[in-house]
Amino acid sequence: MSGYKYIGKSTVRVDGKVKISGAAQYIDDLEFGPGLLFAEIVESPHAYARIKKIDCSKALKVEGVVKIVTGKEFPYRFGLYMHDRYIFAQDHVRFVGEQVGAVIARTPEIAKRASKLVRVDYEVLEPVLDVVTALLDNAPLIHPELGKYQHVPWFFPEKNTNIAHFRKVRKGNMNEGFKEADYIFEDTYTVPRYAHCSIETHGAVGLFDHSRRLTVWAASQSPHTQRHLFAEALAPLGIKHKDVRVIAPHVGGGFGGKAGVSMEILAASLATAVQGSPVKVLWSRAQEFYNTYQRQGVVAKMRFGVKNDGTITALEQKLYWDAGAYVEYGANVVNAAGLSATGPYRIPNVYIDSVCVYTNLPPGGPYRGFGYSEFLFGLESHMNEIAKKLKLDPVDFRRKNAICEGDTLNYGGKMNPSGLLECIDKVAKEIEWGKKRVSKDPRKAIGKGFALFWKAPAMPPNAASSAFLKFNEDASLNILVSAMEIGQGFLTVMAQIAGEVLGIPPEKIRVETPDTDRNPYEWQTVASHITWSTGNAVKKAAMDAREQIFDIASRALGKDRNSFYLEDETLKSRTEPEFALSLKNFVINGIMMKDGTFRGGPIIGRGMFMPEFASAISDPQTSQGGKPNVHYTVGASAIEIEIDRETGKITIPKVVLGVDCGKVLNPDLLRGQVTGGMLQGLATVLYEEMRFDSKGKLLNANFTDYKIPTAMDVPDEIVSIFVEHEQPDGPFGARGVGEHTMIPAAPIIANAIEDALGIRIKSMPITAEKIALALKGLDLPQASRAEPPVCFQKTST
Amino acid sequence: MEKSISFLLNGEKRTVEVSPSEGLLGMLRDKIGVKSPKCGCDRGDCGTCSVMIDGRVVRSCLVLAIEVDGAALTTLEGLLENGDLNPLQKAFLNKNAFQCGFCAPGMIMSATELLKRNSQPTRDEIKEGLAGNLCRCTGYTPIIDAVLDLVSEQKKDRKQ
Amino acid sequence: MSITNDFEYVKPKSLAETLKILVKNKNAMVLAGGTDLVGSLKERTVAPDLVIDIKGLKELKKIEKKGGAIHIGALVTFSELIESKLVGKRMPVLVEISKKVASVGIRNRATFIGNICSAVPCLDSGPVLVAMGGFVHVKSRLRTRKIPAEKWFIHARKTARKPGELVIGASIPLPREKNGACYIKLGRYQGEDLAQASVFVHLSLKNKIPLYQIAFGSVAPVPRRAHRIEKALNGRKLNHELVTEARNLVASVVTPITDIRATREYRLLMCEVMLERALLAAQERLNGRGPAYGVNLI
Repeated sequence: MSGYKYIGKSTVRVDGKVKISGAAQYIDDLEFGPGLLFAEIVESPHAYARIKKIDCSKALKVEGVVKIVTGKEFPYRFGLYMHDRYIFAQDHVRFVGEQVGAVIARTPEIAKRASKLVRVDYEVLEPVLDVVTALLDNAPLIHPELGKYQHVPWFFPEKNTNIAHFRKVRKGNMNEGFKEADYIFEDTYTVPRYAHCSIETHGAVGLFDHSRRLTVWAASQSPHTQRHLFAEALAPLGIKHKDVRVIAPHVGGGFGGKAGVSMEILAASLATAVQGSPVKVLWSRAQEFYNTYQRQGVVAKMRFGVKNDGTITALEQKLYWDAGAYVEYGANVVNAAGLSATGPYRIPNVYIDSVCVYTNLPPGGPYRGFGYSEFLFGLESHMNEIAKKLKLDPVDFRRKNAICEGDTLNYGGKMNPSGLLECIDKVAKEIEWGKKRVSKDPRKAIGKGFALFWKAPAMPPNAASSAFLKFNEDASLNILVSAMEIGQGFLTVMAQIAGEVLGIPPEKIRVETPDTDRNPYEWQTVASHITWSTGNAVKKAAMDAREQIFDIASRALGKDRNSFYLEDETLKSRTEPEFALSLKNFVINGIMMKDGTFRGGPIIGRGMFMPEFASAISDPQTSQGGKPNVHYTVGASAIEIEIDRETGKITIPKVVLGVDCGKVLNPDLLRGQVTGGMLQGLATVLYEEMRFDSKGKLLNANFTDYKIPTAMDVPDEIVSIFVEHEQPDGPFGARGVGEHTMIPAAPIIANAIEDALGIRIKSMPITAEKIALALKGLDLPQASRAEPPVCFQKTST
Repeated sequence: MEKSISFLLNGEKRTVEVSPSEGLLGMLRDKIGVKSPKCGCDRGDCGTCSVMIDGRVVRSCLVLAIEVDGAALTTLEGLLENGDLNPLQKAFLNKNAFQCGFCAPGMIMSATELLKRNSQPTRDEIKEGLAGNLCRCTGYTPIIDAVLDLVSEQKKDRKQ
Repeated sequence: MSITNDFEYVKPKSLAETLKILVKNKNAMVLAGGTDLVGSLKERTVAPDLVIDIKGLKELKKIEKKGGAIHIGALVTFSELIESKLVGKRMPVLVEISKKVASVGIRNRATFIGNICSAVPCLDSGPVLVAMGGFVHVKSRLRTRKIPAEKWFIHARKTARKPGELVIGASIPLPREKNGACYIKLGRYQGEDLAQASVFVHLSLKNKIPLYQIAFGSVAPVPRRAHRIEKALNGRKLNHELVTEARNLVASVVTPITDIRATREYRLLMCEVMLERALLAAQERLNGRGPAYGVNLI
């Protein structure tokens, strides 16, 4: 066994009691006193329009209205990776629900009533609502100034088009690859937009006090990034980073939706308009649907070259992303997906276009899975179709082509340690692959589906984490980090890591949500990277503290510091078994010498981690040359479903997910990620879908018609399998895993349906309705309008 | 026009002034300062605002404050035992039955009513009892397991 | 979201007082469970000057057997129907229906009568009422009316209630003969959903002659009684051919539309499937077998 005391154990959550007792405070639970003001947003009713005139005079007359703000007061652009977003719309609105202005009032009711009195005259323009239209030569330009936008060096916008970013990956020789192939398989798959559906909506409170310091409390995954973007956007007001403070209370779910900066910019900027008074902006559930980030839709056209024996020789994958009105974050989803759109396969010749397309729909952005769920639906569906045509077992076919440690990645780097084959074998065994079961109910068909998955953190190469660690008098610890606990169990795992290094039980360690004034820098809590990255920083901070402890003790006691080790809150020596000095005796107050003086003092550890080996710079035409991804976490998943042939309804007796995320730091918390992520993924394929009308208005901005699963909709059994090939640069060998558990859900369902009924459905979601109609030979009127610009026919030869 | 109403909140008599258009959820959170009921959807779909009126779980976002005049209300704050977690809460904690924690207060309210009416619920009955409380993090399985765990433990206790 | 519209609130202690207030206030709305009304107030789809809370009228809280019918008072919630011994024994299909309504937290508050007053096309309480030949009982200061259910539902969200009238309850005739019934509701998943389509079937034996009572929900502006299907089936014993005959008549009875919850095609198809399943379940239940009431059949 590993010999770890806390690592690898199912430590109970350190944030458990505060949450289950109801004591945890979320953004809307914080009190700001009687001076608190409330903002109501004036929203665009049009998907694309020119603002002709805004008349606030009537609204201003309402008693209790303090101020009305529009784009005139804040003519600034901002964004995470590309500055294409506005605090308030300037001359144009680009999606239904976009913020045109805000009414700040004494009560929410007054603000709401007055907001209805703000008159905005629009010249309505023809909206661009799908990627096909957006890519036409004569398509209206949604961002005519695209060429002038500031952006990160790894984006390639094409000015005077609606293409905000074009990621090209070219590896090997496609002509050779297809020539070598015995078969070529082409097809097109479509995925609509999805919503995160955190149960807590977005909310933020801003206070610009009379000393001109800006504090923002926000339901956030990214407090430091928000601080940075607020300071950048509001720099014209003379605000410096040191003047901006972001405080993140407990957050009621993130899933990517609360990363970056979306509506929080409103609280930050509105606060500066009402100096001295806190102002709250709280999203309604409807706003949560239409004016935060949405998961982008995609049209994926793929072409595989495969040999008779099942060897994949080439893959051409063209991904057209409906990225929405602003892509400052979403373009990086397109980028990340493009780099990895082969899935976890060893393919020598690769041609990928991942195209980020502006449309007049709400801004796309990060969502658990970050583009991988989207392309994997088509890719892994298609893998099954190929296996079927070649009369190969779909699991064998995958196994044959599965990527292994040391294989060349799409951008030229080498694959990290990977237990993919082991995951495949264990998952296949657990689902009893190859064994057919017949339902007791003659109306029902049973099918099994299998898929592989992978994902790397998508982040700038210099995304960094840091940690402070402070000892208290009783040798309990406070750890200060700025990554966010969004439910995944991050705080607990940090306590386990520090506890392991310092010999302190996790229940004696307090880790809380951050305040950027007090807690050290963290890039963002996204990309399944914080267990790895912040975990490394915390481990280093703990090691730093340990060195200080050894140093003090060796100085004070004259013992060899190399003999020291920490265990059970005590300093011990390998060479003197009887020596034991309780940490609480000296970690604050030092060790008293014979003469009454002391050595030492409060122990404060510091740790920092940045992947210095990463680089996003590569050849724009091929993506060769850089090292954009720090590591891939891989795995396999399988499902057994029962389908009612008459109604199309699916029940799920069993799902299995096997993942190699390196060393498992907390099995219970990891199982929690599997169970929760899997259901979230299953819902995207079985029920959920954002539906827009022909004018670009979201039709189901509520839980009545955007159905997220309930307790009655869970699989009967979810089996988690962990394979542990340690990540050399991870804390105790850990790799990221938070997003991965939802990624394979769509293709395992699609493949199981095909197995059960022989029908291949190529557009998500695959609702009961779609199945029932398909079985009758009827087609569901296509919900997603997006059809690819070039029509590919399936041409298996 | 504001009216004075009185009710029992977690056993304590409270009297407040409310206007007829005031909602119960807002009154509890903003006027009284009881924050465990949360606003997740404001239209009765998500269950995070669940509180008990006279022993029955309701959506406090769909109740007017003025309607609870004379009623007995219970929120999560009133379910603690001796200032600490009750057995149901402990079962949730041990089973990792919540992640972000936002749905937990409402979920506990629903589970509490379920167990009050049916001390030996089956897995399906638990699912039905909790189906009105949305959770996006856990996938529900650990929640269902937590309730089942408590039920079987209490059964054991009774036998002894 | 707060309610931005101001209104007065009154909670009368007697029926007489309630009716007096109703007559005097043209723009008043009645509040029972409030699960629909409070939502509508927030979304500003209604803007009453006065809200009359009838929860003080204890006489409307009863479920009772009277004159061969089961009477459901205006304050009876779906949870109370589920828990009622009388209902469980004499008309268990009402339990089946009530369990399909939303979730516990709503059922604890929402009333059967509120549901038929809102009269949205997807209501769960409608099909049973029209199929069984139930009545809606309304009262005003001057008179009492007993309105046949089929005449109660006039259009989507429009009922036969006149100004000044209060719905005090509904009654459903209790079958005297051997019978079985079934309610199937199609939703997008197992959890709480509004019906994409629903069907209610009641089968009884009068002197050994089968009598069918059938209605559909969510596939027309109002609950639709399937007179044509009933006529074709009455007097005939259920078998495979008869089920097929019934299925073939569905399209002539229902007029579903395509909306965000389902397409017309799926609704039509599912009405046939559900009718078949409900007929078979009702027959089995009549024979003392079949799935327990409340079990999911779709």
